[in-house]
Amino acid sequence: MKKGLGVLKYGFVLLIVLLSLGPFLWVLMASFKTNTEILNNSLGWPSSFRFSNYVMAFKIAPLSRFYINSVIVGIFGTLLNLLLLGMAGYVLARFQFRFKNLLMGAFSLSLLIPGAAMLQPLYLTVNTLGLYDKVIGLIIVYAGFGLPVSLYILSSYFLTIPKGMEESAYLDGASFIQTFFRIILPISKPGFGTAGVMQFLLCWNEFQFAIILTTGNQSRTLPLALYYFKSQFASDYGVMFAATMVVIVPSILVYILLQKQVVSGLAAGAVKG
Amino acid sequence: MVRKNKGYITLFLLPTVVLFIVVYAVSIVILFGTSFTEWSSGRKPVFIGLANYIQLFTDDSDFRKSFLNTGLWVLLQSTIHVAIGTAFAIILNMKEFYWKFARTVYMFPNIISGAAVGMLFLCMLNPDFGAVNSIVRLFGHADYAQNWFMDYTTAFFSVTMTWLPYAAVVTILILAEIAAIPESLFESARIDGASELKIIFYIILPMLRNIIGTCVILAGTSMLQKMDIIMMTTGGGPGNETMNLPIYIYKTALMENNFGYSNSVGVFLIGFGLVFVLLCRNLFRIGSSQN
Repeated sequence: MKKGLGVLKYGFVLLIVLLSLGPFLWVLMASFKTNTEILNNSLGWPSSFRFSNYVMAFKIAPLSRFYINSVIVGIFGTLLNLLLLGMAGYVLARFQFRFKNLLMGAFSLSLLIPGAAMLQPLYLTVNTLGLYDKVIGLIIVYAGFGLPVSLYILSSYFLTIPKGMEESAYLDGASFIQTFFRIILPISKPGFGTAGVMQFLLCWNEFQFAIILTTGNQSRTLPLALYYFKSQFASDYGVMFAATMVVIVPSILVYILLQKQVVSGLAAGAVKG
Repeated sequence: MVRKNKGYITLFLLPTVVLFIVVYAVSIVILFGTSFTEWSSGRKPVFIGLANYIQLFTDDSDFRKSFLNTGLWVLLQSTIHVAIGTAFAIILNMKEFYWKFARTVYMFPNIISGAAVGMLFLCMLNPDFGAVNSIVRLFGHADYAQNWFMDYTTAFFSVTMTWLPYAAVVTILILAEIAAIPESLFESARIDGASELKIIFYIILPMLRNIIGTCVILAGTSMLQKMDIIMMTTGGGPGNETMNLPIYIYKTALMENNFGYSNSVGVFLIGFGLVFVLLCRNLFRIGSSQN
């Protein structure tokens, strides 16, 4: 009985690890192969570790353009979201005022709206504002999508800060704005870190709005680069594999570096009822 | 605090309120308003009452299939997916030598974009050179090798497998919650001679009710916007075999320019999500205290 349970346990873990790592390693290996090798020797090692597929991936597709766009959208989408939601979250966590419940209700309702339902209306709004096919359009939309999660993480963090901190700042003559930027922001770093990682991942991985709010290659982001490869280079497998790796590997490296922050972010992002 | 802060409160809230209005409020007004109209791009919307909704339910097999698929995926995701994630968390919590490695690796497919996961599986399941068919052939069952994503019998299953096993988010949430259970509870159970299995079923799982309910909601609702992987792998095909409501909305709105109709599907999707969330909250008694 006990032994059987152990086998089941290890088998389960092994299967999970294999399912997670397998596709990734197989594509990594294939990214060094030539087209013939891929077709004839799909499971074996590449005959040599050549990087020509990677060079080609950057040459024939605007991969670097997609990269730059993703970095810009990721950084500014996150900064905008954190700044605005930090300010709003602070006020909502600390002060009583009219319409507060109404606002909180409206903000938390946004959590219940599946993004897909808003595809056409948002397309219309972005178009009307003249932001269609512009990186700034994506930045604003993503900052908005992160609203419920960031608000939840940040305001719960602000609630843990003792009120005495601000009161003594006021007594020392600091203004409201000074108190927020000089006292509250620095001590809330962990909260901002968590919300920031969540928000950055959202910006970095988003697909459905990126595809309807942009056209051509000028303002498209990395997830769309893969879509582009899928249709343009369907027969050039090695290049396709290399491009996939180029998109995936940085995410994984960043994850390994920021593991703690990501994990606590996911745990904090859970909306507890 | 005795100071007058009204001005600052407004100043701090205003940008977020504007953002909320631009991204959500305006969208929802457009969505509901135009769902009762006949409206295609370049024209003015014309009020047609409930005609869109009537057509959805009486005369639209693509919609029926999308609804059915979405429902089935929500069901699978909120049961099997959550169960896999929970089981893995409970095993990892035993902290054997491999647990850090396993946890890290398990996060990979969850941290990279859905488009990338779609691409990985598109390669793995390629009919000519994909690893899965190669393994099938290796074992001499060449007749089982097929075009997984484009075959009517396997497409739904193949697409499902690109997200069903990857429940690392569930695992992380459950691990965090298990860590919050006081150690003394386990100790006294062990002193009383409870087996590992009994501890899992009588102590850990009951204490996780709230968080499992949350995971069910998160996993289920994530299926209400699944689009990236489907777009990458099958595009909803073959036929409408792997179509879901988001893909259907995308198709009717941006490929057929049938805005009014597409928005009535959007309204339906929101309603579907609300019913699901309310159902889960009741089922798991989320919000009420433990026990």
